[in-house]
Amino acid sequence: MKKKKRILVVEDEKNLCLLYREELRKEGYEVVATTDSLRAIELIKKRNFDLIITDIRMPVKDGLELIADIMAIKRDIPVIINTAYQSYRHDFMTWAAEAYLIKSTSLDELKAKIKELIG
Amino acid sequence: MIERYHPFRHQFLQSGSKELQIFSILAQSFFQPFTLKDNLMVILTALTAGSGLGFNRAMLFLVDEDKLRGEFWLGPASPEEAASLWQILSTHEIGYAEIIDYNRKLLLDENNPLVQKIKQVSFPLHSPQPSLPALAASSREIIHVRDAFNEPLVDPRFLELINVDEFLCIPLLSPDDIFGEIILDNAITRQPIKAQDIELASLCGLTAGNYIYVTKLQQRIVEMKKQAALGEMAMFVTHQLRNPLVIIGGFVDQLLSPDLDEKKKMRNLRIIKDEIARLEQIMNRLTRFFRIEIKEKVPVNLREIFKITVETVKPLIKSTRINLETEVEPGLRHVLSDPVYLGEALRNLVENSLEALKDRGLVRLRAFREDEEWIVISVEDNGPGIPEILKDRIFEAFTSTKERGLGLGLAYVKRFMEASGGFIRVESQEGQGTTIKLYFKAG
Repeated sequence: MKKKKRILVVEDEKNLCLLYREELRKEGYEVVATTDSLRAIELIKKRNFDLIITDIRMPVKDGLELIADIMAIKRDIPVIINTAYQSYRHDFMTWAAEAYLIKSTSLDELKAKIKELIG
Repeated sequence: MIERYHPFRHQFLQSGSKELQIFSILAQSFFQPFTLKDNLMVILTALTAGSGLGFNRAMLFLVDEDKLRGEFWLGPASPEEAASLWQILSTHEIGYAEIIDYNRKLLLDENNPLVQKIKQVSFPLHSPQPSLPALAASSREIIHVRDAFNEPLVDPRFLELINVDEFLCIPLLSPDDIFGEIILDNAITRQPIKAQDIELASLCGLTAGNYIYVTKLQQRIVEMKKQAALGEMAMFVTHQLRNPLVIIGGFVDQLLSPDLDEKKKMRNLRIIKDEIARLEQIMNRLTRFFRIEIKEKVPVNLREIFKITVETVKPLIKSTRINLETEVEPGLRHVLSDPVYLGEALRNLVENSLEALKDRGLVRLRAFREDEEWIVISVEDNGPGIPEILKDRIFEAFTSTKERGLGLGLAYVKRFMEASGGFIRVESQEGQGTTIKLYFKAG
């Protein structure tokens, strides 16, 4: 059997974490989700991920700082930014992400982007 | 060795030349809490005052869309008026402050014939064949007119108004804009306008242009700040609404799929209910924030309101090692305020303190007389204090550092205090704690 692709979801809204975990598992991925961006760094150091999905506005360490850290640790993991804000789109750090998506009540766009990036 | 001087060197006024005196006044007036029109009036005063540049009368036109519109006309309306006016103004005790005051009254006087006349006229700025006075502004040139009654470039309507055969037009400019025009004459004394008068008047014109330019920039900055704050607010609210909506949408989609088990269905419904409650809470908070209206202030019993506040936040400190103390200065019983808003404000402040303390520390609610005029309610904690970089922004709405907070708490308290005729002060040192003081008018 083909090994499942592993996705890390970093999202400080507990319920969104739950939703993404369940929905992406249905698509056949292995999903690790955390509400804590510092914990995310530890996870990235310890385990291999095929893709990271992160929010931007989060307490302690925001998504853009997280991307900078990811670049320093494992620069080849693709990152999808998934945020409620349009305004960060022009922030310099977003260039490092593969995609910038605005949170939507439909997860179709997110799912399609994941498929495009890691199959 | 160093020597220090106040930036305003009033000595000019006594000993300097006439020109130096005038520019000293002009430069200093910019530092007075005058409005733009007041400052322009000061310039006209400098140009016309008896000991000033010595013009008899000065008119001010300001650009209004594509016209020059009459604004002020300063000076005596007749030789008789001039004689009495100049006598008053040449009295030794009278300084510029008095003259400016005098002129301000003159310009506000609706019966003043010069003001009445000037307010009624306007001249198109960009006609195919511009005539005076508009020509000076549109060509950005100082124009000195002699033998005006035989000069075809002078607009006949203007000639009728000014009724003098020699005058000077000074445009008010910035590098890329035209703001207006000053017109000067010697209608009473009939003195010819000399080259040096033109030089000095042109400097006054440049100063006036600068005033207007700076004022317009300031207005634009205020406008931009407002727009930026509004934009930030819209963005913040959108974000606050988007998260619950995304969660509701996602879990509703799951509910619609036929293979979801009963347990998960119930869980999803609970999550959706919570998120709807959160949306409602956001709406309520926003509504409350935008509508602070204090109808009537009543004596609010301090011990009573402290007791209620402690009761409401008790559940939050149940399993922590936070002490909550209250203290009311002996003899002090009431403050005049709105009990509902005050209760809300205190709850907000105490909650902020509790949040800062995490799970141990001290919060003290205190009421005392600061002095005869003010009664203070303070909320003190020994938490980590407000970080230096946040200090300037803590009262701005929508700058919360908490993910679920709307950032309305302190902004709300500040608005409430201002609406009730008091104010709020924050004392905070990193590592030592924060004290928020609410000042209420005594009695």
